[in-house]
Amino acid sequence: MARWCWHHEAMSPRLLLLEDDDGIRTALRLSMEDEGYEVVDAANAEAALAAVRARAPDLMLVDLMLGGMDGFSFIRSVRPNSSAPIIVLSARSDTHDIVAALEAGADDYVTKPFEVKELSARLRALRRRPPVALEIDANGSSQQLVLDRGNGPLVLDEAAGLVRRGDRQVHLTVTEYRLLCELGAAAGRVLSRRALLESVWDRGYFGDERIVDVHVRRLRTKIENDPGAPTLLVTVRGLGYRLDPR
Amino acid sequence: MTRAGRWRSPLGLRATVMVSFAAGALTVSALLALSTYVAARHYLVDQRELTALRQAFVDASVVRDGLLTAGARESDVIGSVSPPAGSDILLYRDGQWFSSSLREGSASVPPEVLRSSLSGTASLAWARTSDGPGIVVGVPLPAVRGQFFEVSSTSELAGTLTTLSSVLLISALVTTLGGALLGRTAARRLVAPLDTISGAAANIAIGKLDTRLPGTDDPDLAVIVGSFNAMVETLQDRIERDARFAADLSHELRSPLTTLKASVEVLVRRRDELSERGQRALDLVDGELERLRQSLEDLLELGRLDAGVATLDLAPTDLGELVRQALAERHHSTDPLVTLPGPASPPGDADLLPVLPVLTVLVDKGQIHRALLNLFTNADVHGAGLSAVTVVRADDQVMVIVDDNGPGVAPADRERIFDRFARAGSRGSRPGTGLGLSLVVETVQAHGGAAWCSDSPSGGARFVIRLPLFVRDGLDRPNEISHEDVSGRDQPDAVELEQELGS
Repeated sequence: MARWCWHHEAMSPRLLLLEDDDGIRTALRLSMEDEGYEVVDAANAEAALAAVRARAPDLMLVDLMLGGMDGFSFIRSVRPNSSAPIIVLSARSDTHDIVAALEAGADDYVTKPFEVKELSARLRALRRRPPVALEIDANGSSQQLVLDRGNGPLVLDEAAGLVRRGDRQVHLTVTEYRLLCELGAAAGRVLSRRALLESVWDRGYFGDERIVDVHVRRLRTKIENDPGAPTLLVTVRGLGYRLDPR
Repeated sequence: MTRAGRWRSPLGLRATVMVSFAAGALTVSALLALSTYVAARHYLVDQRELTALRQAFVDASVVRDGLLTAGARESDVIGSVSPPAGSDILLYRDGQWFSSSLREGSASVPPEVLRSSLSGTASLAWARTSDGPGIVVGVPLPAVRGQFFEVSSTSELAGTLTTLSSVLLISALVTTLGGALLGRTAARRLVAPLDTISGAAANIAIGKLDTRLPGTDDPDLAVIVGSFNAMVETLQDRIERDARFAADLSHELRSPLTTLKASVEVLVRRRDELSERGQRALDLVDGELERLRQSLEDLLELGRLDAGVATLDLAPTDLGELVRQALAERHHSTDPLVTLPGPASPPGDADLLPVLPVLTVLVDKGQIHRALLNLFTNADVHGAGLSAVTVVRADDQVMVIVDDNGPGVAPADRERIFDRFARAGSRGSRPGTGLGLSLVVETVQAHGGAAWCSDSPSGGARFVIRLPLFVRDGLDRPNEISHEDVSGRDQPDAVELEQELGS
């Protein structure tokens, strides 16, 4: 789990493509291979789940409307086993669907019909390394940020690229981890939604700020003692979010 | 809802009902009072005349008996009679008048009473006495060759009648007022369901389609409630069907478009491997595909605006910044509407970026961005390029003025160009979807603004969109302000953009 995609950037990244429309699947496979990805495609969620287990993809492109098991269920069942970024291919610009997909565990979305360039940009953004958030200690080894000194302290261990509560690893997705790193690098300061959207998702002026909100909610369920009343990752009304290590 | 109807009155339903009740009460009570007064007056007058007559005959017989007594003087006889208060006795005998009081004299006796008495008939008449209205009774006294008259004042009767009439008048007024109050209450109760209905209709008009009227036991209202709810049901069904249709259509068309776009992308990467004819064909496919995509997006957006289901994600936004973003995107965009062969390239950027003050509007960024892009594209395609873009404030409104270098728009066409699929020039020669300007006007209207076309002072066409200025009221409104970083962050962004555009 600790070994995330940015550790093998030299190889061509493996992309899982779950799409039931033969035309779209074939065309996307061709264009994504042109973009340098090793594409594993699946026409239904069951085949895609098998592919996730067998091939451990670095990225996933998931269509929401599928015959049989739908995209939402696929994302929910794949999330415990994979932290790889998931981009949803939404045919509907229905905001409801998009939020539901993000809440299920997706990292970003594109609306059909999209430009291949735009999809590549989204994929590239999600594969970037997290920022080096923490200053290196005097001894030059331990890059750790203690988020919560309670019993079983919550630690962001940047050297290992993971978050621990006590001895146990907290399972974060790649994007959740990067979001936490961004907030950690600015611990105690407020980061606006737009700033986060730009630094984590590489989205510009028209980016959908709900992406940030949903990810913050997801992150809270994993790092807060009471996600309903957050004390670590707090909302600063009208401005954005702030990480307050204790 | 039109208010034209057969029973449209200048007063309105409530007032009409109230006035009708008041008028009814007034009529009934006035009739009642009048008949009461007439009957009472008739009875009282009769009684009074009877009393006066009786009294006169009694007094007359006393006088006659007195005069029959030998040697009695008339004045003594009259003095011996004691008429009730307010009554006076007159005696006419041998051409001489005798009176029991100084108040009354021969003048008090009306001539017809005197005449009928002289002719031997007793009579009664109403006359003016020294003490107001009164009754004069004349009784001939043939036995003593005299005429007896008794004058009685009826001022007490007049007083009674005055009191009666004022009591009746007051009760009539009170009844009328009561009628009006009753009318008001009735009207209120009558109109209350209408208020409920109009409230529900207003809710439906703003898009709350699940609004229904509550059920009622009133058989008169149940029909209206039933048909109203059925109407809303039908309306909701239809709108949902339309929305579903738009969603289905969108899905059905988007999937093949996605395939086409991705496939063409693969081809474009290998453009060099194609023959020259192949390359030309590929360029055509690529360009037309983008136009098809744009048309589909515009159509679906128009459909959503039509159905009123376009959800506006409103946030306070700096309109100047939006304009800058749209200008920047137009410039760096691969949008074939801009890159297709056509009118001359736009003029230098410096002219396009006047100093824009911070003017905040409450809008859906994406939608207004699209509207602005459409305006700029329109200027590029039909107006020989943008000449100036200005953002100004006018009272509580903000206007974006887009001028172009083209030939302008004929006054007759200035409304028509906002129609769907209306475009300048022949179909074949001009690019564009024909939906851009109608999308502009409908988007802006959905935001409570307006869009129109006029002359640019520099000779080209001028397109103006007007949006209401957003005034922050100082209250913390989390949903709106939380999207807003403009104050702190946009300034550097704007500077960056300006540099980028200027380079």
